[in-house]
Amino acid sequence: MSVPPDFSRRPRLGIDVSGALNLVGSLVKYLGISAVVPAGFAIAHYEPVWPFLAAGALVTVFGLALERLTHGAEEVGVREGYLVISVAWLVIAAYGALPYILADDPQLGRPVDALFEGMSGFTTTGASVATDVSALPVSILVWRQLTIWLGGIGVVTIALAVLPRLRVGGRQLLESELAGPGVETGLSCRIRDTAYRFGTLYVAMTVVAFLALALPGWLGAEQVMNTFQAFAHSLSTMGTGGFSTEPQSIGAFGGLTQWTVIAIMAVPASNFMLLYKALVQHRPREAARDEELRAYVLILLLAAAIVTVMLWDRAPQEGEAAVRGAAFEVTSVVTTTGYFTVDYEQWPLVALMTLALLFFVGGCAGSTSGSIKVARHLLVAKLLGRQVVGTAHPELLYPVRINGVVIDQQTLLAVISFVLIYLAVFVLGTAVLAIESSVRGPDFGPLGLIFASASTLANAGVGLGAAGTAGSFAAFGDPSTLAMTGLMWLGRLEIVPVVVLLRRSYWRV
Amino acid sequence: MTVVDLDPARLKPLAQHYDVATAHGNAASGRDLLRAGIADAELVISCTSRDEANLVAGTFARSVAPQAKTIVRTSSADYVEIWREGRLDVDFVVSSELETARGVSDAIGMPAARHTDSFAEGRVQVVELDVPPGRHTDLVAGKLRSARLPGESRVAGVIRDGRPILVRGDTEIEPGDRIVVVGSPRAAREWCALVAPRRGEVHDVVVWGAQELGAAIARALVEQQLRVKVIEGDPERAARLAESLPDARVFNTDGLDRGFLKREGIARIQAAIFAMRDDARNLFAAAVARLEGVGFTIALAHNPLSARVYEDNGIDAVVDPLLLTAEEIVRFAHDPRTQQMAMLEGDRFMVLDLTTRADSDLVGVPIREMPSRGALIGAILRNGEAIFPHGTDTLRPGDRVIVFTETARALEVERAL
Repeated sequence: MSVPPDFSRRPRLGIDVSGALNLVGSLVKYLGISAVVPAGFAIAHYEPVWPFLAAGALVTVFGLALERLTHGAEEVGVREGYLVISVAWLVIAAYGALPYILADDPQLGRPVDALFEGMSGFTTTGASVATDVSALPVSILVWRQLTIWLGGIGVVTIALAVLPRLRVGGRQLLESELAGPGVETGLSCRIRDTAYRFGTLYVAMTVVAFLALALPGWLGAEQVMNTFQAFAHSLSTMGTGGFSTEPQSIGAFGGLTQWTVIAIMAVPASNFMLLYKALVQHRPREAARDEELRAYVLILLLAAAIVTVMLWDRAPQEGEAAVRGAAFEVTSVVTTTGYFTVDYEQWPLVALMTLALLFFVGGCAGSTSGSIKVARHLLVAKLLGRQVVGTAHPELLYPVRINGVVIDQQTLLAVISFVLIYLAVFVLGTAVLAIESSVRGPDFGPLGLIFASASTLANAGVGLGAAGTAGSFAAFGDPSTLAMTGLMWLGRLEIVPVVVLLRRSYWRV
Repeated sequence: MTVVDLDPARLKPLAQHYDVATAHGNAASGRDLLRAGIADAELVISCTSRDEANLVAGTFARSVAPQAKTIVRTSSADYVEIWREGRLDVDFVVSSELETARGVSDAIGMPAARHTDSFAEGRVQVVELDVPPGRHTDLVAGKLRSARLPGESRVAGVIRDGRPILVRGDTEIEPGDRIVVVGSPRAAREWCALVAPRRGEVHDVVVWGAQELGAAIARALVEQQLRVKVIEGDPERAARLAESLPDARVFNTDGLDRGFLKREGIARIQAAIFAMRDDARNLFAAAVARLEGVGFTIALAHNPLSARVYEDNGIDAVVDPLLLTAEEIVRFAHDPRTQQMAMLEGDRFMVLDLTTRADSDLVGVPIREMPSRGALIGAILRNGEAIFPHGTDTLRPGDRVIVFTETARALEVERAL
């Protein structure tokens, strides 16, 4: 006799929240280990150790608890992926904020500020609410740099392993390359594989960057980084986040170091898949043929040349210094790093507006950089080209290709939608900042607001006016700080996963 | 010879007209092939319309009749590639797509020629030309012997009113003749210029139809650095070609719309190729293109009747995919001394590439004194050099000769040499 099916227990949720949270827990529990590094520096400099140990312990316990309290799914699916990365990045940012709160730091201790700083670090933005970096304890400085470095590997992992699977903004472009033909692996497995594979490369590149920055100092050159500064800056440069241990950022060092930093910044903002191909698989020619990489290099050179021309006879610097200043700032903005060497606020308006535009470029797909990314610009440009040609030749078929591969309509549509959503979020973010600024002050000016909103959304972290070279993002009020924290979060996750969560259809069966 | 086919209705007329045995059966079935006597065969040609069946028959033949030469016809060029890499255990693979594409690009290379074939690794070209009606000083001015004609070439045959004329030094060429010239590639081009002086080199072409044959033709022409436009009415097929062939411009339209033809300047394109599966559509599209002003039209003929219909309606060159494929198969199946062969005027004439035996009666005899049996030596290949012989030249043992002959006499010629 068969039992009649029981329809009384209707499932309410279409997604496996428990499984998703379980995956989040299993990922963040490892983060606690990272607290050991600033703790070590704290011991060495006789600073309080417990905030780091407590934060590390807390996040590990939280992760373990989350894992214990939820049921691990056999395989977390694509649909749960949106929830996983959205929640994970919030938890990680909160973890980044914990040491600041626990240490009750006078500059970063307020929860809103601490969350901003934590989000800024783990999203590799580099915008800071610290007004005087030189007053921060060494251990806190190290923690800030470390959050960027850790964020960097997290960013590469989600950019290469998770976002393509979630088909965010045409990211499926990358999908085919990473996974072998037709291999459908689960999300958690994929995240571990990618993190391991590119993590090794990331560590190796960081070591090289550290040596390149520290070597001139060891050889006794002037105006260069000491070992600690080289360590701190190699961490933040590799994650393309712009935290610095110096109030004048890279401006504290000489020309040699500045050029070195320009070169290092450009590397992690290129596609890690190509870096892997070139450096690990020894196929540099193949990597150099990549269309996106070529466009990215072209944009860097062209933008640097244009800004140099704009600065040539109007800025305080001239000659090599003008070229270096322009090249540095352009690279810093395009790679979404956020360092500075000169007081760009003295630049002519047209140069500043150029920088504001460059916030929307970003590095390559599959890098630690943020923003729209060159690959999407390339596709949009090709699509526009096709539209133009199509008006004259309506019957002509004109497949859009990247690296010879035809991009299907679905992907093109996703790319266009992404660019539009990105711009919409930017406008909304600017509006929030503008309202707060007009109600409460201070006045950042239109360009200052655009800088703040565009550069947090792009995870670049370059401010203007009160938030500029001399000031910090502390100039903004709490609502604006929270808004910008949200922008960094959205920008890092490429917006779509978060927007997806807002739809009721996502949660329903 | 045994012919195996699925359709008894097709086999009956074959058995009546030719000296062949027939067997009704499936070429992909081992039992049917054994029944047809494949085990004792010396030559197995699998040329059904299905690639897979051909491959099965070919490989089956290899296992039950290892002594037999196996030839497999395929449509796509993929199998030819696999075979060249040595991963397909048959003796020869002929791809109708490749042969057709080659035929079309030959026709384009010499737009004045009705038909071209290259021999001896491209050192000798056989060209079939139509002498246009109307007086033509250099060509139609008197006896061949005294006419100022391109060097390194011989007129191997003249066909007047559909009948072959024996070519001698005192033969005159008349307007309206069809002549077969054997010569070096340069001389062949000079001949083309002589016959149709206005036609130069073709740089841009339009291909009508992107089915397998059209796509293969477009691909071959793109590889020759020509600017290629393709017109295809089926959206999916058009998209497929556009994606796989980035250097061609593919249009999704049937191309029979004046607005489109004007907009894309089809009239200014030098040559149009009609590669659709339906000959009637090819003919109509070609007529439209000619009306628009396209100067040179080439059409594929799938029906044996089409070649004459096309010619009658002003299409400049006809490419017959079946004939080209058959040529290639027959060439391989022929006398082992025959390096290559070509068929002209349907299958009425043949051009053979033969090696002379040492004991041939013709060795040492000046060409002028050779018995005229309706065959003519167009070129001699000696020590890797092509010689276009005169009456006083003699043959030596081991010479490769390019001979023009009536098909009926081909065997006789092979024996004599």
